[in-house]
Amino acid sequence: MNREKLFSALGDIDPRYVAEALRYAPGEAAAPSERSKHMKSKRILSLALAAALILALGFTAYGLYLGFEYRRPAAEETFSIHWDDSPDGTITWSDAKLAVTLPELEESREIEFRTGWLPGDMLSLQSEDWKQYFTAERLSDNGNSAGVPAYRGTMQPLQIQTYCSTQFNQGGALLLLYQTPGDIREEHWDEKNLDVLLFHSSQHCDAVPEYNIPARDYEFDNILLLNQEEGWVVKLVGQIGEEQLRKVAENLEFRPTGNTLRYEDFDSHFVFFDAGVG
Amino acid sequence: MEDSKILDLFFERSEQAIRELDSTYGAAVKKTAGNLLRDPQDVEECVNDAYLGVWNSIPPQRPESLVGYVCRIVRNLAVSRLRSETAAKRNSSLDLVLEELEDCIPAKTDVEGELEARELARAIDRFLAALSYPDRYLFIRRYWFADPVSEIAARTGFRENRISVRLFRLREKLWKHLQKEGLLA
Repeated sequence: MNREKLFSALGDIDPRYVAEALRYAPGEAAAPSERSKHMKSKRILSLALAAALILALGFTAYGLYLGFEYRRPAAEETFSIHWDDSPDGTITWSDAKLAVTLPELEESREIEFRTGWLPGDMLSLQSEDWKQYFTAERLSDNGNSAGVPAYRGTMQPLQIQTYCSTQFNQGGALLLLYQTPGDIREEHWDEKNLDVLLFHSSQHCDAVPEYNIPARDYEFDNILLLNQEEGWVVKLVGQIGEEQLRKVAENLEFRPTGNTLRYEDFDSHFVFFDAGVG
Repeated sequence: MEDSKILDLFFERSEQAIRELDSTYGAAVKKTAGNLLRDPQDVEECVNDAYLGVWNSIPPQRPESLVGYVCRIVRNLAVSRLRSETAAKRNSSLDLVLEELEDCIPAKTDVEGELEARELARAIDRFLAALSYPDRYLFIRRYWFADPVSEIAARTGFRENRISVRLFRLREKLWKHLQKEGLLA
């Protein structure tokens, strides 16, 4: 029977995969992916050293979800990050607070979204338009006629953005640069086939006496949604509280744009996702 | 004992090699056979046959992964033993795994008759190479070791429902992969 043929064929797979599965050790995967084998040797070395350092020192919050993998990079690990405002379009950054990596895919389906629910004081931003980026930043601006008292003093009430997971193949990552994450929780939303990461994050900003700006502490909630099969990610971050942010996420509608994107379609493979940065 | 030292013992034709192999990997080897065979005596015979197979093949072979090598031998022996049993004695845990794998090759689809199992195995290797570690772990534990889902859940700390959903997605993914490689007619 066919199924038995498949089962028998499984018996002849590379024994390294069998050895690797003797115990569950997500930080010590032995078998590199086909594509990883093509990574530049320098990158392999730096990632391996960083991973070894993280594991050896034991100070990291190395975590894992069935789709997402996340870790706190070592302080000396550096990333070349896309940054429009720099002369060459990138900046080099160390001391990132969180690195989120994704399963590798050949192609990602690019998507767009629209909000199905927003908090009452954000309804001025509700629209039927499909988009790939949403920000409620202007609601926090007291000098703007759109400013809303409830968001006074916030940095970013709500931000939503889409990414293609293929952008982060071969060791690329979504990074938190400024915000320190708290405990990371993992869920799977079966009805939408989404892997979900949820966490709280905080950021301290020093005072700037020359502009009479006091020291401030900001608190954020973050949700990352991943559709592994289609290869897209949606980030939601904001200061509207976890319950409301979750409701926004649960009510998002998605549709494909019709574009498919591959690793080589992106110039940069490290992107920061702090709210309000840049 | 490290693999290289156990292999050295095999190359020296020292019977200590079998004892060290059993001491280091015996639990994994017995588990592999035990997941497929019900009868403890069958398991023991299968394990002993596997050790004999290793003894007879090393040297000249020097496998890169000794545990993978011996587990593969014991699994193939267990599958052969199951095949020789009558339908009345069919193994329920294996039947469940086979039923799940049928998702990858629907009844109306036929694997090309001349396709060698080895070619199929290499295609599965490529499929596994492209998976994340957790996905690969789940797939191997379920479809190579034939572990019950409840056991995989206990090993990983994820809920059984999550494991089942993930395995379903992986079977879909394997089906697409085999189609893409032109292995399904």
